[in-house]
Order: sequence, then structure tokens, then C-alpha cells
Amino acid sequence: MKPEPNDEKLSKVLHEWKADSSLPRRFQEGVWRQIETASAACTATPSVWSVCAHWIGTLLPRPAMATAYVAVLLTLGLTAGWAQAHQTNERVKGELGDRYVRVLDPYQTPRN
Amino acid sequence: MKRGLLILVFGLIAAAAAYGCIYFACTAPARNMQRSEKPELAWLKDEFNLSDAEFKRVSELHSAYLPQCQEMCRTIDAQNTKLQKLLAGATNVTPEIEAALTEASRLRADCQTMMLRHFMQVSQTMPPDQGRRYLDWVKGKAFQPNYGMSEKP
Repeated sequence: MKPEPNDEKLSKVLHEWKADSSLPRRFQEGVWRQIETASAACTATPSVWSVCAHWIGTLLPRPAMATAYVAVLLTLGLTAGWAQAHQTNERVKGELGDRYVRVLDPYQTPRN
Repeated sequence: MKRGLLILVFGLIAAAAAYGCIYFACTAPARNMQRSEKPELAWLKDEFNLSDAEFKRVSELHSAYLPQCQEMCRTIDAQNTKLQKLLAGATNVTPEIEAALTEASRLRADCQTMMLRHFMQVSQTMPPDQGRRYLDWVKGKAFQPNYGMSEKP
């Protein structure tokens, strides 16, 4: 900021001014403590929620990230569905095979 | 944040939809088999890759066998009832009990012979490799070593 011409007066007063009041006790120590606290807050591990919020708010809306996210979830859904269907088919086929033998074997045929 | 949440929810819905679609598509043949008139025969056709002509012949053999099987069931039930009556209160192996046990064994042998004959007829209706696979499978199911011993007291 460019100083105004009448600021020279102010500069002069400020140069002549001397603080005669003393600092509070342990002022310097208090200042350093505040700096350390602020610094620790900056370097502390962020919470899970803040990471998620950051991810959802800033990273996920990026087109590449959104595409990758949807692709991964689609793959997971397809794989899980296929695996579950495979398991169901195996179970049904096993049951029907057992049923075939039960129908034909008088010693396994269910009696009314 | 709102756009990110929308993408998040969209991804989850897409995953659920993909799961449902693939599950219902892949289990459709099994559901159709279960809904068919004779699910066990539908399974046989699918499992042993039978052509329509082979399946027709197998179905005929199946239908011809069932009355014999039902008749055998009635005979076995009657023999079991007779044996139970003889065993009730018996303290010695009487000649009648011995004869009933012999008859029960003969019935079991007849039953197994009848089944085996049917299984072999069915296997001969199939293509040779499938017929062998069918026989191996069905013998394992109906003639396993612990045959008739699976009932719990």
C-alpha cells in the first residue's frame, strides 16, 4: 500500500513513541504455547469423517474419480451377484439331483 | 459436496442394480427348472445335456418306471409293517421273524436290481460319455456303502 503524504506525521509520532508499560508475566511463554498448540492442530491426524467429507466434497466430483468410483462399484456389484448366483445354482442343482434319486429309489421315496 | 453426495449415492444404486440384474439373470434357468412340471427331469436334461429326442425317451422310461417303483414301495411298507408286528414284544428270533427278515432282504435286492436296470436303460439312452457320467453319479447316490443307514434313531 502506498503511504499517503500526511502519514509522515504518523510515522514521526510512532518513531518517537515509547511503550512504558511492561508486558504481562510469562507473556513470551504464552505466545510460544499458543504457536505450538496451533501447529499441533495443523499436523494432527484428521478424523475419518473429515477425510470422507473431503473426499466426497472435493475429489469425488472430479470426472475421472467419479468414473473410476462408479466403475469399481459396478464391478463389485456384478462380481457379488455372479458369485451369489453361482452358489444358488449349485444348491438348486444339488437339491434337484437328490430329488431325482429319491423319486426313483423306493427306500428314499418320501411316504405320505 | 452436494454433487459428490449424488455421485456417491448413484454409485451405490448402480452397484445394487448390477448385483440384482446379474443374480436374477444367472439364476433364471434354475428357477425355470424348479417351476417345471417335473423338476428332477428338467434337471437331468440340463445336467447331462440331453437333446429333445433323448429327453423324450428318458421321460418315457421314467414314466414307465414310476408305477413299478410305487408298487415296490407298497410291498416294502407292507413287509415292514409285518416285521414290526412280529418284533413287537418278541424276546426270541422266531422262525416267523427270520422269514420276515429274509423276505425284507429279498425285497431290497429286488428293489436295487430294478433300480439298477432302470438306471442302465436311462444311461443307454444318453450319449456314451454322458451315459457313463450319469451311471457313475447315480450309483454313488443310490448304492453308496452306507445305503439305508442315514436315518437317525
